[in-house]
Amino acid sequence: MRLVIRETIGARCIVAEDGQKLHDAVVALLRDKEDVFLDFSGVRQFASPFFNFSIGQLLNDVSEDDLRSFLHLEGLNETGRIVVERVIANASRYQNNEDYRKIVDDILEQQARGEE
Amino acid sequence: MQEVLVPTLNDGQHDFLRLFQIWEAVSRAPQGTRFDFSQCWFLRPNAVAFLGGLARLAQQHNYPVAFAWETVREPVMANLCQNGFASSFGHPSSGWNGNSIPYREDRVSATDPILDYLTDLWLGRGWMQVSPLLKDAIVGKVWEIYTNSFEHSGSSVGVYSCGQYFQNMNQLVLCVVDFGVGIPNKIRSFLQSDPRAAYLRSSSCLEWACQSGNTTSQQPGVARGLGLDLIKEFVRVNQGSLEIYSNDAYVIVDESGERFQDMNSSFSGTAVLIKLNCDETLYHFKGEFPN
Repeated sequence: MRLVIRETIGARCIVAEDGQKLHDAVVALLRDKEDVFLDFSGVRQFASPFFNFSIGQLLNDVSEDDLRSFLHLEGLNETGRIVVERVIANASRYQNNEDYRKIVDDILEQQARGEE
Repeated sequence: MQEVLVPTLNDGQHDFLRLFQIWEAVSRAPQGTRFDFSQCWFLRPNAVAFLGGLARLAQQHNYPVAFAWETVREPVMANLCQNGFASSFGHPSSGWNGNSIPYREDRVSATDPILDYLTDLWLGRGWMQVSPLLKDAIVGKVWEIYTNSFEHSGSSVGVYSCGQYFQNMNQLVLCVVDFGVGIPNKIRSFLQSDPRAAYLRSSSCLEWACQSGNTTSQQPGVARGLGLDLIKEFVRVNQGSLEIYSNDAYVIVDESGERFQDMNSSFSGTAVLIKLNCDETLYHFKGEFPN
């Protein structure tokens, strides 16, 4: 499957809603290990909410190895590549943010370090 | 109606603290406020965005607001007319270009108009001879500030921004202000199931929010928390600066690192000030982010 992002989303890949749309269009194919080609030619502006929802979220359904094998990002400029790599790295270490006690521990530890 | 004296306001910490005092005075005056500018020799864009948002906040509470235009000195008035602030508050003038970047009010997240503003009116005026690729990269990163405000602040009056190009310093400035809950308060509330959260220092909360991957977003299955980290890294590498005032916490990020601080004064909301150096030779992509 090939999707021309400029036609389906536009010249700006910025918001979460567009990212969700793209995620929903490709997730089943990637789960079935089918090749997906996303053509970003002509897309100029990128922000993390778009990639968090479109690509980062795919890691809930496919492994990072499969994502890199079957999802082909074409025509993505340097800005987009930087953001998408950060998003993949962030998503691959993501755990639901529900361990509030651990977060408080982390902040208190950081606070204590600042007092040293 | 109380009278509030607006002094000369630069963009240092002292100036923001003065703005927070004004916020407090206006918030406690249901009888209304008249802003007097007779002691004001200039206003930086952070003050313009803050005062505009504050006036709208007061109006939302049905607290009357008036600007004493007759007290505004000529250069300040020229600036307020130029950036469209004066006409937004009833002065019969229309904006023009000059070196100012329009004052802007966004009640809701209007993606394309804000991106057009950043692309065409903030960066696209020729004071920074950057490639289209770099311009788009900057816009994408600055958008992260807006999207954070819209998504997390809960500001009932929206988001206010204003910018300016300072020729003598070859510096491009943008300030984005919301009057929402503020980052430290949002984090304490997010963590409220743990009673220790109430005692977390504001600067520590802000520091946590600025770290990659940390977020209060509760949407399961979607990793978030990159926005502040992306912009922080960008200004650091490109010798700009990013300053955040949120509740009583403050951080400055620049080429020498990041420094967090608890302040003696506070406001309900977040103000983000970004300064970019207009020397295009400073900018680069490769190695933008350390591995």
